[in-house]
Amino acid sequence: MSPQTLCSFTLVITGAPYSSQAPQTALAFARAALANGHRIDRVFLYGDGVHLASALTSPPSDEVNWSQAWQDFLGSHDIAGFACIASALRRGIVDQSEQQRYELPANNLATPFTIAGLGEWVDSVAHSDRVIYFHNGG
Amino acid sequence: METLVIISHAPYCDWTGRESLDMAFSLAAFDQPVTLLFTGEGVNWLRKAQQADAVQQKSVEKNLSAAPIFGVSALMADHKACERYGLNKENMMPGVTVTALSADLIERYAHVVNLS
Repeated sequence: MSPQTLCSFTLVITGAPYSSQAPQTALAFARAALANGHRIDRVFLYGDGVHLASALTSPPSDEVNWSQAWQDFLGSHDIAGFACIASALRRGIVDQSEQQRYELPANNLATPFTIAGLGEWVDSVAHSDRVIYFHNGG
Repeated sequence: METLVIISHAPYCDWTGRESLDMAFSLAAFDQPVTLLFTGEGVNWLRKAQQADAVQQKSVEKNLSAAPIFGVSALMADHKACERYGLNKENMMPGVTVTALSADLIERYAHVVNLS
């Protein structure tokens, strides 16, 4: 890829915050991509990555709140963020609709993330120029 | 533009294999071509007569046997890994192509997913 070529990216995050470096590496990549004129089509949280969409993340005050940092980034750049529904439900990340469906005592999906199926990722594979993965080791 | 989904973790050790399989099935459901490749300890997914109920899990063998029905193009397994884990025609589920894992093989695919 030459420096002049502008790309559309989808970022897939599968590593959880505070268990892995994945969310912060992905955020650094996303900021650099936008700064260089590239586009981010969407961010898709999969597997343990869905923990990034928890509204209840509360690290100590001298640590970065990566969930909040991602919420701010997505909101300020109007980028869609999705948490895979199967991954999210397994790991206790639910929105109001799923709370009602499964009669759960609470919901905790942070805005602006939404719950979606793998179809969003399939669409990325078909239409984004590059799909970049940020795993547990990355 | 075919996608290669690689499974390299043993079944039942974590959820990456199941979630990789979900990705492959989703691609197939949307008519996107996809092949599954089993490497390393992941080849144990292909073993016949898994007794998953002993660890209170669902057998992945059943999920995998449905792969052709869902439209997954091919199931492939790395030859060396099969040797290492003692997998052969007798104890491996049918319909698997045993192949040599190489950079050339990976390069045939436009998109490669490896969750591990």
